[in-house]
Amino acid sequence: MIELSHVRKRFGFKKVLQDVSFTAEQGQITCLIGLNGAGKSTILKAIMGLTPIQGGAIRIDGRPPGKDMYERVSYIPDHLIVPPSQRLSEALRFMEDFYRSWNPARANELMAFFGLDAKERAGNLSKGTAAKFNLVLGLAQDTDYVIMDEPFSGIDLFSRESVAAVFSSELVGERGVLLTTHEVGEIEFLLDKAVLLRQGTVARSFDCERVRSEEGKSVVDVMREVLLA
Amino acid sequence: MNRYLKLVHLEVQRFRYVLFGLMALTLIIQSIAIVWTSRNEMSRIREHEAIRAYYAEHPYSFAFAVSNAYFWLAVPILISVVVLALYVFGIWYRDWFGRDTFAYRLLTLPTARRNVYLAKATAILLFVFSMVAFQLLAMPFYQWLFRLAVPADLREPASLAEAVRGSPVFELLIPTDFTQFLIYYGFGIIAVFIVFTAILLERSYRWRGIFYAIVYIAACLAAFFLPLLLPVMDGNHYLYRTEILAIMIGIAILILAASIALGFRLIARKITV
Repeated sequence: MIELSHVRKRFGFKKVLQDVSFTAEQGQITCLIGLNGAGKSTILKAIMGLTPIQGGAIRIDGRPPGKDMYERVSYIPDHLIVPPSQRLSEALRFMEDFYRSWNPARANELMAFFGLDAKERAGNLSKGTAAKFNLVLGLAQDTDYVIMDEPFSGIDLFSRESVAAVFSSELVGERGVLLTTHEVGEIEFLLDKAVLLRQGTVARSFDCERVRSEEGKSVVDVMREVLLA
Repeated sequence: MNRYLKLVHLEVQRFRYVLFGLMALTLIIQSIAIVWTSRNEMSRIREHEAIRAYYAEHPYSFAFAVSNAYFWLAVPILISVVVLALYVFGIWYRDWFGRDTFAYRLLTLPTARRNVYLAKATAILLFVFSMVAFQLLAMPFYQWLFRLAVPADLREPASLAEAVRGSPVFELLIPTDFTQFLIYYGFGIIAVFIVFTAILLERSYRWRGIFYAIVYIAACLAAFFLPLLLPVMDGNHYLYRTEILAIMIGIAILILAASIALGFRLIARKITV
């Protein structure tokens, strides 16, 4: 379980996260939802140790984050994080060199699934192709959790469908997924849990299926109620 | 250790074309300088009786050729120094700016973050010493070019040490005294680590970090030069010059240790993307 407990974060004098507490369980797809500037990406970066927090605690399976965490949690940011001059094959080799959790067979399977050319250079990829390769780098690791920041950002409809198909495939499997997205309506059917952020705090956290069956509301309906109130 | 070496390899690979370019530039410009200067001098000897008579008494040596060509020998060295000095900053900032921020990947590798810091420092030092070694290796080649350009009856032998002393830039780059070499390059290495830590201050605290970085560099410089304010032994005062130098070296080592320790802490706990 990824657990955030009373996390506080500021940039200079600006408070971005004021008191954020939620959990993301293994085997579930948890979506962080909020308006622009709510702190979604900051939360993901804080979990990955890419930005320090000023208060609270973050735990992965009961342990504080450390370098070993990167073998158990893979991160897929909203842009490609490969040197532009590097070929995709070299990037895959880099991952194999550094991550014990790297699964080369799954990497090849994902490259074929997305129709990517390993000889291409990272700097020459279109936004959609770069997003797909980003998914390859994140999903080809045998990790317990996958953290994704806007996996559908800037890609065309058909590419989004193939990305969405990955979520319900064995490529994600029993891993815990924590993601942020603005395209909630398109992937709502995949979500197990939603965490709504407003003004640096968790406004509401709920089980999507339970809300659908008990309250008759979709995730988007709850979003309108909470975020636009 | 394995991951550290892989990171060093990565950093070296990313800069290899620039490094080879600098070496090629150095070889080409310095070769042309030696040959052109020597042949120019030979033309002057053929045209002027007085100069021919002078060289009959004082044959033209490779050291003399280096001294005559020192400006064009220095140009590629200065270009290399500027490029490498800029890359002390570029080796960090290239990973943060641009479309693909590789810093995200470096900071989420399953290895101690100090390995990222040390790998970048090691890469810079490898580039510097590679250029110095290349310069040393090129000298015998230039000496061979000199022998091709100058007839045997007009030249006299000169050692490479004499040739190095023929140019102030070479003397700075390749001091013939080993203690001087240690002092020059030792202080250069310390300067790299100070700049690295200043960069990490900026990457950790952004606008405030620029202020912290400036203060940090100023504090290091002040600490280092403080012993120079001490009065030198002159009968009325206590310390010899060598003792003041020893104090400065001790302070420099402390500054190095502090810079590395602070750099480790910043990259592990404070840095932000």
